Formats: sequence, C-alpha cells, structure tokens
Amino acid sequence: MNKLFKSSKKEKQQPPKPQNVLQNNIDANIEKFRSIYDNCADVVFRSFLIFEKKLAMIIYIEGLSNDERIEESILTPLIKNQDHEQQPFDEFLYNKITVSKINKVHLFADCIESISIGNPIILIDGQNYALSLGLAKSEKRAVEEPESEAVIKGPREGFVESLSVNTTLLRRIIKSPALKIKTMKIGKYTTTTIAITYVEGLVDKTLITEVENRLKRINVDGILESEYIEELIEDNPYSPFPQFLSTERPDVVCSNLLEGRMAILVEGTPFSIIAPITFFSLLQTQEDYYQRYIISSLIRWLRYLFTGISLFLPAIYVAITTFHQEMIPGTLLFSIASARETVPFPAIVEVLLMEITFEALREAGIRLPKQIGSAISIVGALVIGQAAVQAGLVSAPMVIVVAITGIASFLIPRYVAGIAIRMLRFPIILLGSSLGLLGIMLGVIAIAIHLCSLRSLGVPYLTPLAPIQKSELHSVLWRNPFWKMDKRPHLTGNYNEYRQVQNLKPRPEKGGES
Amino acid sequence: MKIILHSIFYIGMLILLTGCWDKVEINDQAIITATAFDKDDNGQIDLTLQIFIPKSFSTGGTGSPGSAGPVTFITSQKGDNIADALSKIQGKLSRKLFWGQCKVFIFGEEVAKSGIGNHVDYLLRQPQPRERGLLFVANKAKKVLEMPAVLERYSSEGIKEQSKLTTGIKVTLKDFEEMLIGNSSAAALPYLKISKEKQMQGQTDKYAHIYGTAIFKNDKMIGKMSERETRGLLWIKNELRDYTVTVRVNDDHGEISLNPVSAQINLIPKIQNNKWTMIIKIKTEGSIALNTTNLDITTSKAIKTIEKAYQKKIHGRVQLAIDLIQHKLNADIVDFAKKFHRKYPKEWERVEKRWNEKFPEVDVVIDVEAHVKRQGYINDSAGRKKSD
Repeated sequence: MNKLFKSSKKEKQQPPKPQNVLQNNIDANIEKFRSIYDNCADVVFRSFLIFEKKLAMIIYIEGLSNDERIEESILTPLIKNQDHEQQPFDEFLYNKITVSKINKVHLFADCIESISIGNPIILIDGQNYALSLGLAKSEKRAVEEPESEAVIKGPREGFVESLSVNTTLLRRIIKSPALKIKTMKIGKYTTTTIAITYVEGLVDKTLITEVENRLKRINVDGILESEYIEELIEDNPYSPFPQFLSTERPDVVCSNLLEGRMAILVEGTPFSIIAPITFFSLLQTQEDYYQRYIISSLIRWLRYLFTGISLFLPAIYVAITTFHQEMIPGTLLFSIASARETVPFPAIVEVLLMEITFEALREAGIRLPKQIGSAISIVGALVIGQAAVQAGLVSAPMVIVVAITGIASFLIPRYVAGIAIRMLRFPIILLGSSLGLLGIMLGVIAIAIHLCSLRSLGVPYLTPLAPIQKSELHSVLWRNPFWKMDKRPHLTGNYNEYRQVQNLKPRPEKGGES
Repeated sequence: MKIILHSIFYIGMLILLTGCWDKVEINDQAIITATAFDKDDNGQIDLTLQIFIPKSFSTGGTGSPGSAGPVTFITSQKGDNIADALSKIQGKLSRKLFWGQCKVFIFGEEVAKSGIGNHVDYLLRQPQPRERGLLFVANKAKKVLEMPAVLERYSSEGIKEQSKLTTGIKVTLKDFEEMLIGNSSAAALPYLKISKEKQMQGQTDKYAHIYGTAIFKNDKMIGKMSERETRGLLWIKNELRDYTVTVRVNDDHGEISLNPVSAQINLIPKIQNNKWTMIIKIKTEGSIALNTTNLDITTSKAIKTIEKAYQKKIHGRVQLAIDLIQHKLNADIVDFAKKFHRKYPKEWERVEKRWNEKFPEVDVVIDVEAHVKRQGYINDSAGRKKSD
C-alpha cells in the first residue's frame, strides 16, 4: 500500500511555497503577490488610499468574493478622509470596516490561503500584517431532494456541495453542543476542507483518534469526492464491499451519529461517509424507520430474499438445468426443454449473453435523459428480450430469470452494495456452470469467508450475526417499534447503553394524565 | 503481482479445461417418463420406455401449447436383462437416456410371477432412477404405456396422480425393497387394469387405472386382491384417505353412506400363554354423505344404530382382507412380523425361520370403534317423505 503512495509523490511538483513574512513595505508585498498570481487573470488588485493618507491594496479573486460587500463595507468607509488622532490606527481601522470576520495574517502562505477561499486581504503600507476579511461568496445549489435516495415519507433535504451549508443542516437536526465538528484540510492543490462529525459521549474516543490518524496519513494532490477519502482510509482496500456508508441525506447522517458512529463530510460533494458500518446497514434504508414497523419488517425480509436472488438466481438456473435436471419438477422441466429446443447455445452462453446485455442497458440508462431513461431501459430490455426469444437466440425462461435478477438488484437500497452484488454474480455464474451446485456452494463459502473477515474501522462486517450479539439481532431480523428500542447498538466497546427511558410503549394508562 | 497473475491464469485454465464432465444439456437428453417391463415368449425381457417429446414454441413466441402431436412416444426393445435391453434402446435414440424424471415403473404379470428382484436390483444400483418412483403391476405392461392420456398430459402422469388418491396402496421403489428384505419378505404392489368406456360420437376410450393389489412373496407374485379386499388392506395399513361406506340399517329400504373425517389405526401384538394374537384397533369418525332412509338422524338412538351398522361394515371389510392374506395367500404384507419383532424380540427369534407356518396361526382380533361426526347440510332425508 505505501508503495503506491511513494511512487506518486516522486513525480509531483511542489507548488511554490512562500516562506516569508509580510514586510512593512507595501511595494515589496505587492510585487511578491503579483509574481505568485502571475497569469491568473481573475485575481483583482485594487489599490486605494485609506483615509486619503495611506496606500493600501485589496487583493481578491473575482467570483469568490462578494464584490458588492467589498465596495460597501470596505471601500466606501475607508476612502473618505477621517480623523483618527484619538485612537491608534489599528483600532480605528477595525471600527470602520463593517465586516463580521476580520483576521490579521502575517505569513504569505496564510494570505494565499485566505485569498483562495474567497476572503479578500488588504495590504497596508507600513504595517507588517494584512487583514483578511470574511467576505467569501460562492454559487451554491439550493437544498433539494437527493435523487439517489428519494423516499416516500420523510424529509426531502439533501446535502449540497458547500461544507458550511451541510454542517448547518446537521446542526439544525442535532442542536446539542455535544455535536462536534472538527475540520481538516487535505490535498496539496485542492486543500479540501473535510469535517469529522461525531456526538461526544456517544462515540468511542479511540474511533475518532484512529480516523484522524488515518486522515493525517493522506498525502495526495487533491480530494474531489468522498470516495477518494473512503478508499484511502478503509480497512480492506481489496474488497468489493463498501466499508463506509455514503449518503446524501442529513437525516441518515444524524441517525447514525446518534447511534455512536462518526461521519466525514467533504467540501465540494454532497456525499458524506459514515463509519463504522455493518453489512446490514447497506441493506436498510431510512424509510424503514419512517413507516410502521410491521410493514418495515416484511419489506426487510423481502430485501434479503431479493438480495439472494440477485446474487444466485442465474447461477442456480444454469447449474440445475445443466447438471441436476432431476431436481426440477416434471412439468417445469418439460416446459424448459421445449423452450430450449430452438436455442443454439448452451445454457451458460445464454446466461452470460443476457446478463451482459442487461448490464450494458443499465449503464446506458444512466446517461439517458431522465424523462425517457427509465422507460427505455426497462421497456427496451423487455422488448429486446421478446424479440430475441422470437428469433430463437435465447429461451423464454432465460429472459424471465434475467429480468427477475435485474429487478432484484434494484431492491438493494444502497447503490454501492448493489454494484458489489451485481459484480459477484458473474464469478458465481461461472462456478455454477462448471461445477454445478457444488460450485455455487464453493462461491457461497468463499463470499461468506470474505464477509466474515471484513472490518469497517475495526467493527466486524457481519455484526451482529458473525460475532453474535443477541441484543442486536433484532435490527437484522425485523424492525423493532420505537418503544422497544431502548438500547444503543453496541459498536466498539464502552458505550452509553440506554438511549431512551424504558417502558415507553403507548398504553391507555400512560395517556395524558399525571 | 506475479503471484496474482499466475493464479488468475491457472484458475481460469482450470475452469475452461475441465470440460465440465457431467454437463449434459437438456436438449441432449431423452427424458424417460415411465418404464414397462414385460416378458416375451423366449424368456427375454421386453423393455418399453415412454419418452417425452419437447415441442418447440418456435414461431410466435407464445405458440399454443399442446397444439398438435403427442407429448410422449414409446420405444421398446428385447434383451437378456434390463441393462442389455437399455443399451439396445440407447442405440436407437439420438439423445442420452435420462432416468431422473421417471416416476412410474410397471411390471407385467409374467415378469412379476417369475420374480422381479433382478430388475429391482438394476433400478436401485443405478444412481439415476428415482427411489421414490412408483411401482405397479399390470397384465401387459406395454399396453398401459400405449394408452392415450385422458385428463393428464401423458398416461403415466395419470397413473401417478391416481396413486396419490389412494384407491390402492402406494408403493415406491424404496418401500418395495424395504418390504422384501424386511421380516416378512412379502410385498404388495398396486395392480393396473385397462378399462374401456364408450364415449360419445362412437369412440371408445381405453384408459388404465388402479384396481386391486398384487401380492408378492419373496419377489414372486403369488396372487391378486380384488378391489373390495384392497379396501380392507388399506384399512389395516392406515393408508385410507377417502372412502365411502354404505350401510343398510335394520329393515329400512334406504341406505346411508358415510365419508371419513378421521381414522386412527393401531396394530397391537400380544403373546399370551404361547398364543399369538394381533389386535387391530380402528377408531374412526365419519360424516354422513347420503341418507335415503327414514331415520331421523338428529336423535341419538338413530345415530347409535348407524354407528353399529358402520362398525359391522368396516369389520367385515377388514376381515375379508385378513382372510385372504392370512389364510388363502399366506403372505404377511401387513407386516405383523415387524410388530411382533419389535415387541417380543425373544419369542420372535424362535419363530423367525418358520414365519410361514406361524403366520396363519396368529389370531387376529378386529376391534372397530366408529362414530358419526357430521351429517351434512340437511337433517332429514330429502328424497323420502316422513310419512312413507
């Protein structure tokens, strides 16, 4: 793993690193800045006279800073001549600039950092510091429903690309000051801000220190998406299964934070990642908790069944029709035999052909415009299937198997988990076609062993099934009603056991009296 | 890195080179649905197979199923034994024979009389034929397979479904073998009869159905039981599902028919003072299906009369079956031997070799307890007026 990092570092060019401290002479400072921002046409250098006496220059990046506020809060009050004999120059300046955030910066590096965020700096002749003002403005997307995680019942807010908006959304849900948000900057060229959020008292301290250590190890050019971070800090980099939950919804993040997990938000992407998770978190949605518990439990079971179908159905079909024909009930076998009379390929070729075509249709459907996308991919698939059956290329039972498998893979709520399972389907088909049901069992055992050995930030992936935790099994098997969810999930050791007062089930005696 | 590449290479080769040795496509298989064993005049065995024809729904995708052509075809061949005949049949066909779906094995009466142990040996030794396949005996087994199907898709399916309805006993290959090597070395198989029925438009339909039982001793057939006697046998073996008992009460002209609701049958062996007794305890409840008598079945007196007649009738049937089995045929197909062996192992060991002589001496006591549970939707008889 480390080798991969080192090789990439050798070829990188270091960005220019100004070492110096700002000097009193403004001209020297200005020249330095101009040389740093050479060929950057969107950096604005505006010089003016403060109180018509001192030379000053404001440097900012057009588009990142709020032009109107610069004019009205800085230029307008400072350009006019004012009398300041009573107070020292600094204080007077501070009182005149009507901006809520002002910092003094002394180093060139800090000035550049502040300019790149969008905070303009003012260089003043005769002072060895610059003033950094909090006037950043950027185009932000409006908070709207995330498309990848739409629910029928529940909040329709999703994260946006701006970190400050995202942390605001979190704060609006968890109002307690126990919600801690620690920020770090990662990435040589992008210096992306990432925020580690957790609820103090609920989360395990060692978890946070471990995550911070892993994040500090990251030394890359840039972080564009949370996936970069996820792949750089996960426990098992070779596994197809995701060890972090990525979500666009603040209510998902908050419910996980309240259970003792931690979340990482990344500037520039609405997707945040949550850890530590288990395999079963990938098969659950928030909507389970926004609907009644009986129906949620049944739908959970439906999801488990269809996850199994999505993974195994084509392989079982191929294995049974090729090796174990005596297992099929007589009438069904006769129908399948009749249907396969016209097909020139053996079952394995048919399956692979249909599966690959289906996957291709799915991928193509992503890039289709939204209005016609879904219609084309599903109807198109069925029409193509029908035409293929009539042409005698594939058999009708095969089309049904592939269609059911495709639909089953849509039932998996998290896209990343769905992809992992779709991918694993192919080796299992190959195993099933060469070794029959024994081959499928081999595949099952291999996957089971792999899942049991996976860890997500130290928590075994198949908790509460693999190290059995009887108190936790209910969340796997069904959804407990809220008045029964007294205890928090036991993630990493010492934890805060009770999350609500016990015996909360609504009863006639607890109506409204007392 | 090298290790990974090497392992991918070798594993990939493994999958592609092994050839999947057991792989047989469905379209390369001839699916056998029923088998018939007959004996011809030279002592050779005449093997007949009923093989499924897969019809292709070629044009139109959803073509009409069952449109034209038969679902199965018959092929037969003579040989010294089954294996010999089979290889000859395989030589005639374009596909590999597949036994995995064959659920019906029919033995001709002549084969049965000369012993079917050898043929059963072949069927059990091969991995493919199903141990849960049903065995039957018919007069001429080949003819049964040649029958056209009446309600089902092919004739053997009709026979198989019929055996589920327990008009005769249901014997799988496994059961048969267990019976033969068991304590009693006697077995019974359902007997198939071919009946004719005139249909409209001058057609005559021939079909095969279960009618009676064939009794085997030491793998040779020694006799038959008629349908009436088979009913009694079904009682003892506790295999009844549906029956109708019709009784006449006192001197009334009408009849009462009863259907079963539940039945509990226990066989209790008893040895007292060197006297061997088998008590057949039958406890059953029936519901009235038909009442054409004048009896008012809401009174308990009438119910008691009906119950008494009911008991007598059942007793008579079981007695009929026992007489045939014990005295006429001397074949312990109801497995008294096993019951005695279980309860009195020491005494059994003494008579084990002489069970043939001991069996007719066993005193069979039939104890029937019959009740009437329901009387249907109406109370009084709909057909006759009370004043009659």
